[in-house]
Amino acid sequence: MSTPDAPGTTEAAAPGPVVRRGATVDVGAAVAPLWRGLVAFRVVALAYAVVNVVRDVGLYARPALGIAVLAFMAVWTLVTSVAYLRGARRLAVVDLVVTVLTTMSTLVVDDPARIAAGGPVITTVWSAGAVLAVAIAYGIRPAVGAVAVSVGALWITRRALDAALLSDAQLLLVAGVAVGFAAVAMRRSARRLQEAIATEAAAAERERLARDIHDGVLQVLGLMRRRGPALGDPELVRAAAEQEVSLRRLITRGPVGLDGPDDEAVDLGAALGAALPARAVLAAPPDPVCVRSGLARPLLAAVREAAANADAHAGTDSGLWVLLEDEGDAVTISVRDDGPGIPAGRLEDAAAQGHLGIVSSIRGRLGELGGTAELVTAPDEGVEWELRVPRRDGEGAGR
Amino acid sequence: MVVDDHPMWREGVARDLGERGLEVVATASDGAAAVRIAPAVRPDVVLMDLRMPQLDGAEATAAILAALPGTRILILSASAEQGDVLGAVRAGASGYLVKSAQVAELVDAVERTAAGQAVFGPELAGLVLGEFRRREQAARDSSGPAEPAVTPRETEVLRLVAKGLTARRIADRLGLSHRTVENHVQNVLRKLQLTNRVELARYAIEQGLDADS
Repeated sequence: MSTPDAPGTTEAAAPGPVVRRGATVDVGAAVAPLWRGLVAFRVVALAYAVVNVVRDVGLYARPALGIAVLAFMAVWTLVTSVAYLRGARRLAVVDLVVTVLTTMSTLVVDDPARIAAGGPVITTVWSAGAVLAVAIAYGIRPAVGAVAVSVGALWITRRALDAALLSDAQLLLVAGVAVGFAAVAMRRSARRLQEAIATEAAAAERERLARDIHDGVLQVLGLMRRRGPALGDPELVRAAAEQEVSLRRLITRGPVGLDGPDDEAVDLGAALGAALPARAVLAAPPDPVCVRSGLARPLLAAVREAAANADAHAGTDSGLWVLLEDEGDAVTISVRDDGPGIPAGRLEDAAAQGHLGIVSSIRGRLGELGGTAELVTAPDEGVEWELRVPRRDGEGAGR
Repeated sequence: MVVDDHPMWREGVARDLGERGLEVVATASDGAAAVRIAPAVRPDVVLMDLRMPQLDGAEATAAILAALPGTRILILSASAEQGDVLGAVRAGASGYLVKSAQVAELVDAVERTAAGQAVFGPELAGLVLGEFRRREQAARDSSGPAEPAVTPRETEVLRLVAKGLTARRIADRLGLSHRTVENHVQNVLRKLQLTNRVELARYAIEQGLDADS
């Protein structure tokens, strides 16, 4: 349950090299309130010890030594307070040893008969400070160990396993475990915060780097494409062009997942970017156009069919333009090619012959979504599909 | 004048333009340098990259236009960052071209920009359409002061541009003159650029005067 830090680190040290940018969290400083509380406790306990010694000094076997021990306790309180507030938590172990010895000095200061009769040790409740210091510095298990050492010292001093000793042991144990637990919890949450900040900073840094790299790659691909004719390798130029378009679409619109449940929101702009061939020019609004997955899938299937149809009839060298519009309560996707178009009457002939193929397939898909599919064509005017689907009731405008 | 932080690209574009008989009066490696150099060389057209250190393309566009209002700015960008493109056009750029455009396309775009036309491809048209729809929605939601909206005819033209039709084809289809189509596109750009109150007021007055005459 304790949380030992990596060897060689101290509470006062800088919070490590993990965080390179942004705010940092000092894990050591997380328990600073507990140290302040300990210092306050020590000062109050010292005052109580002073009262106790002043009251009993006449009964001590060696009164002068008793005053000297008291003076030492005052000095030690000052030294440890300053050290703990500066983050020197390793002093806690020394503190425990010193405190135990001070407690045991009762044996030489006080009258053995008084001690045996159940008189208080010279350190009184002040001795609990070192146990609390170990608890704050090292956590619960070391705190329990410190309690054992303290109680052992008390027992050696008083030689009696009486109710007073058990009560002291209980109080020390409760205080030590409680404070130790608080220290562990405070450190853990500070460490988590630090990790979160580091992760965030690293992600931001990666994103920034990626953007730079992508930008550079786009520049080079663009340059290849532009200098295409001079390069004399049309295949390479075409590949560069395709990669440039897909990378640009990915960067601008982000990745897309269409496999989610029907109600998952999908950005149609990103989905179109991924679905369309590289030569397609995609015009879309600046903001994502989000619809549910269950609507996006058939809609994109229809768009792909329209694009494939353009490939088949206008050829893969023809222009292909796709316009995505968000009308709030509906979404429109237009797909246009600049091929020879469909001569008047061809569609009607096909319909009369019973095989409508692609046209009925696209209309069917849109019909199932409660939308419409308009086909505009004329010889030499290319083919233009306008696919319009309403968003389901209650579906927001997707912004 | 060519502004781009990639040296290879900058020199390549400058050379291409030079070979096609256009005079490249200066090159600059970032927006801040462009703003410093522009007043000295007074370029007709600035080819401006968007993502640059120091000052980005949109900020440099605004700064150059503030100093030299007659300059025409054509955005030439690789990454098509949507917000950046719109930002630059709102700052006063009169056109946008992706970097992968062929040399001939680029030269044509520079010449059209110099002639005062808007280089307005389908991608930009799609962005602008979306932007005006967003504004419309926002105006309906907040009933705040209405920003200038596009007319139905302008929307029609924008949609056809976004579908990849040339100005001539659009003119044929809508039964308009080529010139009228160009005017519609110019108007849309101007409305997009009216962002501050002074410009809005001036726009309102102009509209009022037009209505009276």
